[in-house]
Amino acid sequence: MTDTFDHSSLPEDDLLAAEYALGVLSGMDRATAQQRVARDRAFALMVAEWEHRLAPWAAEIDEVAPPAQLWQQIAAALPAQTQGVGLWNSLTFWRGFAVATGALAAACLAALIYLGALTQQQPLVATIEGGGHRHFVATLDAGRGTVAVVPAAFSADATRIPELWLIPPDGKPRPVGLLRADQTVTLALPPDLVALARKDAVLAVSLEPPGGSTTGQPTGPVIATGKLTSL
Amino acid sequence: MDLDANRSLITAALGRIPGGDRAALQTVYRLTSAKLFGVCLRILGERGEAEDVLQEVYVTVWRKAADFDATRSSPMTWLIAIARNRAIDRLRATRQSRNMDPIDHAAAVADPAPAADGTVEAAQEHARLHGCLEGLASHERAALRGAFFDGNTYEDLAARMKVPLGTMKSWIRRAMIKLKACLEQ
Repeated sequence: MTDTFDHSSLPEDDLLAAEYALGVLSGMDRATAQQRVARDRAFALMVAEWEHRLAPWAAEIDEVAPPAQLWQQIAAALPAQTQGVGLWNSLTFWRGFAVATGALAAACLAALIYLGALTQQQPLVATIEGGGHRHFVATLDAGRGTVAVVPAAFSADATRIPELWLIPPDGKPRPVGLLRADQTVTLALPPDLVALARKDAVLAVSLEPPGGSTTGQPTGPVIATGKLTSL
Repeated sequence: MDLDANRSLITAALGRIPGGDRAALQTVYRLTSAKLFGVCLRILGERGEAEDVLQEVYVTVWRKAADFDATRSSPMTWLIAIARNRAIDRLRATRQSRNMDPIDHAAAVADPAPAADGTVEAAQEHARLHGCLEGLASHERAALRGAFFDGNTYEDLAARMKVPLGTMKSWIRRAMIKLKACLEQ
């Protein structure tokens, strides 16, 4: 079928933003577009403009009341919050921290002990390091089944993204989720992983293609590891 | 629900979330969850999955509220986009689109009139979009509807409308170019 339509009336990026906002992309194309939204502000704005153009269509969708208990489930799923949260999630704080001290691991642990004391539960922590750098600091809350990962000195790679793995004593990595170089990520742990997330299990970070490993095992280099320890 | 009257309430509540105010998230939930649940349910077609995704949506709102820029976007636009994206991610992760019924584009129906329960502002915005959609060829409009309301991919739409994938991509891209031009008039 011939189609001589000229696409040049909009820039390719704007068309890609339109396709992503509409939702027609799948697989790697969608994952790649999502990565760009996270990293490329100009592209994210184009997507936001398309979302704005399309959103009025949702007026055709009827409102449906969700079940009454859903709010309680959401409230229970929120990451632990304390008054220290602003500092805790502050990338600037952690980056400044990394610059300010040469004894980062010890200092981070001191901060974790201090901030951890503000929460009711005692989390497990790990400084995830490799190649002489502390890349991430992770706090694992088994009670809530979450792991919060703060980037410390990790710098982004244009083509690969960091993926977190839990390695219990049997040595077999279990995928946990994708991390971000520019902000704290809180990942939910499935119940079977919570059971394995004990003291002395190891958290590891590998570099994977956008969307993460599709094999269930790391496919790229493992760049950093850290043992979970209790406070 | 009068979202015009509530727009400033939602915006103000979103602004309090980055400080860790759970009551603010609950306010957003109270004012918006029926619409967003409708959006998730429409795409996923199954209540249990739509409930799971709605939870993810509000946890995402909790984490990302600081990204919401009231000078650039309306709160409902921002929230609907999060709901659609989470629902589509779930759909892609689990299975094919729910609605894969063939679309007879020769007989494709016109874009329906908006629901009467909307607000004045929402009705005006919808009327404008509706007018521009009416200006598209019926096969283009049918393809966009399948993507927006059923969460269809390019591949799904090509199958439903029995055209090659490349043709479907051209249809959608051409339709989006026309839509943008019309909305900017």
